[in-house]
Amino acid sequence: MRTRRLAPLALLAVGSLALAACGSGGSGDGDGGGGGEALDSLSIMAPYFSTTPPEDDDPVGAKLEEVAGLGLDMQWVPNAEYGDRTNVVLAGDDIPDVMVIQQKSQGFVQTAEAGGFWDLTEYLASGDYPNLVTENPEVQEASSVNGTVYGVYRARDVVRTSLTIRKDWLKNLGLEEPTNTDELMALAKAFTEDDPDGNGKDDTYGMIIPAWGASIGTGSPYDAIEAWFGAGNVWKDDGGQLIPSFTTPEWKQALDYEKQLIANGYVNKDYATMDGSTQWNEPFLNGKGGIIIDVQSRATQLAGLFKDKDPKTYDQYVALQGNIAGPNGDFALPTPGYSGFLAVPKASVQTEDQLKQVLTALDKLSSKDAQILENNGIEGDNFTVDGGFADFDESKQEYTDLVSGSWAQIGTNVAGYEAYKPKPDTEYDAELEQERVDLQATDLEKAVFNPGAALVSETYMSNGVQLDQVIADARIQYISGQIDEAGLDAAIKQWGASGGDAVTAEMNELYGQLG
Amino acid sequence: MTAVVDVEQAGAPAPAAPPAPRRPHRRWARVVRFRWLLVMLLPGIAYFVLFRIWPMWGAQIAFKNYVPFLGIQGSEWVGWEHFADFFSNPDFPRLLGNTLILAALSLFVAFPLTIVLALLLNEVRLSVLKRTVQTLVYIPHFLSWTVVVSLTALLFAIGTGPLSSFLDGLTGTETNYLADPDWFRPLILLQTVWKSTGWGTIIFLAALASVDQEQYEAAVIDGAGRWQRTWHITLPAIRPTIIVMLILQTGEILNTGFEQIYLMSNALNRTVADVFDTYVYFTGIQQGAYSYSTAVGLSKAIVGLVLIFGTNWLAKRFNQQGIF
Repeated sequence: MRTRRLAPLALLAVGSLALAACGSGGSGDGDGGGGGEALDSLSIMAPYFSTTPPEDDDPVGAKLEEVAGLGLDMQWVPNAEYGDRTNVVLAGDDIPDVMVIQQKSQGFVQTAEAGGFWDLTEYLASGDYPNLVTENPEVQEASSVNGTVYGVYRARDVVRTSLTIRKDWLKNLGLEEPTNTDELMALAKAFTEDDPDGNGKDDTYGMIIPAWGASIGTGSPYDAIEAWFGAGNVWKDDGGQLIPSFTTPEWKQALDYEKQLIANGYVNKDYATMDGSTQWNEPFLNGKGGIIIDVQSRATQLAGLFKDKDPKTYDQYVALQGNIAGPNGDFALPTPGYSGFLAVPKASVQTEDQLKQVLTALDKLSSKDAQILENNGIEGDNFTVDGGFADFDESKQEYTDLVSGSWAQIGTNVAGYEAYKPKPDTEYDAELEQERVDLQATDLEKAVFNPGAALVSETYMSNGVQLDQVIADARIQYISGQIDEAGLDAAIKQWGASGGDAVTAEMNELYGQLG
Repeated sequence: MTAVVDVEQAGAPAPAAPPAPRRPHRRWARVVRFRWLLVMLLPGIAYFVLFRIWPMWGAQIAFKNYVPFLGIQGSEWVGWEHFADFFSNPDFPRLLGNTLILAALSLFVAFPLTIVLALLLNEVRLSVLKRTVQTLVYIPHFLSWTVVVSLTALLFAIGTGPLSSFLDGLTGTETNYLADPDWFRPLILLQTVWKSTGWGTIIFLAALASVDQEQYEAAVIDGAGRWQRTWHITLPAIRPTIIVMLILQTGEILNTGFEQIYLMSNALNRTVADVFDTYVYFTGIQQGAYSYSTAVGLSKAIVGLVLIFGTNWLAKRFNQQGIF
């Protein structure tokens, strides 16, 4: 008798499983409140770089909630998988109130153009949200989709490209920092062949280049060299017409230069496979390679790592040099000036009143108080203020890293960076920092901006990743000697035939409309 | 407990009874009699409905310009456009070629090796040795592809890896095995064999255990050698198992191990490394081309379906044994 009574229960269990699965597919309004009443908390999806995301009861989070006047419901996603997750979340039902959008992918642009994200152009220009008014209108323009601003961009230094060089090797060989590409080649040769570490063994090479994703115009060492040669920055304005930088003769010239670096053995042999995120510093630290083309903070980071090894002599190893001149002129490769933007999906923020509430909160989250919380942490806990600088408590370094690796990611700083800069520990640290600031000023004058940054071509949107990959792969195949010039030309031709020509035409049409 | 007894009592006479004349109430009687077996079937059915059949509703976005904000219903219908785009894309022949070559390698090299290893293990008479070897060859199965690929990267690192240094010493030239397109397929095959051969022997060993021992004794008396016994007794005895495994493998032919290939590919070997699954990942997940990548995935599924029916048909033609 007992078993008979169990049967309906078993059925019920299976049935409710089915219902539960269907149910989660049905509702679409997340926590945003479908009816249009005021939001009681703000859910934000953001990437994090720290080893773990902040806990729910994180003190910075609690203080930010006070500043924002609204509860924060953070959805942290590891940075490495952020792009993937964005596309998956956009296709799902549980869409947050605010999303950091890192790139104008097809998933984002299509959704935005279908009306899935609020057009913030007017709201940001209105001046109602003073902390969201940009200090660099060009950057805001570059972050837009064909002139429509869908998000508050996250400001970044415009000049970051630089050369980091082994200072002790320069000294050993009696050489100076290079000022042009020829000197750079000579330096790479000397670092490879002239025993810069003086150990009598042939165990060094010049430049350290890691594997780069199948993309172009993403600040790789190759992109930097091509910009120095005058190939432009992704797009080049050639007499009022946009042409892709890789169709310029300067680009090919730069590729031959890169090819020479590799063919002569001046670059690490595993340049096509080395993992840049974990292995880029090692050869520099261990005295295998002596030149890195990357962002300026690479130099600071390496100096810090040398300091961990030996705080007394660490100032001997790292020299910083900015963008150098090429054979066709003096150019610098800038960043886009932003790293993604905070956009507001309509699926969760449905009425204008709710949008205003969200913008008010974002405005407060960009205030000076909030910036200090996001970038420095909690004053009196993990840092103290000393002469306008943040003096970090070394015993709480872990928490400082957590803050800068997570909360800083929701900071926009579009109206200017107002948090404290870290206090330099030593004279050398201060020097390095000053050098950075100086280089940023001098390199900004010769920076070559991407004239097509704001333009989103329809064909590029649907085929861009594959198109970029055709060129990026052909580039490295050419440099490595796998294909010859005919093969490179064939790849560029294939790029044109599989959508590239349409992209160029569409870009020029948009360029004409906006320009 | 009562349920089990119920089933046993009900189950015993059923196979023996000759099919009675069809009467409607008979069928209901069977349903009632086997009700607990049927209830036990429900979770399985629920699984397939929820996770296999229900999601197929979404496959229709392959025929639309799907924009999540507009929903599946609201998105514009474009018919075969995405399929046409894909088949006319210069990537298509390359993807198909790469996928089929990798699949063929695993089917014609890795799969027979599993049988060979099972036969070898079966010949080992010393039980301790046999069990030890079995355990050792099972271990790689439990390592994730990330670990296997990391090991490969260490062993074959240019200039520093022990295996690459050894091979360089033999050939006298320095090769970047991890980036050389000619070495991509051998490395993939090597990894597959290392990781899955041992585990794959389990089913064959079970089949080998059930081979009638008297046949071997008779063959020995007739003077058959070890090769002859293997060829004329062992292999025919496990033929049905081989066929079933082969058909199941063919069904997996286009699922060429996304993780493994994605992790092993780089800028220099991508010409041979791109397969359907990595392409779907790049276009669909990274780029957000939902409809296009669904069309690609659907095409892949159709090719896979054709292959599995084809193999089954061939199996039936040659052996009169298929799996359905």
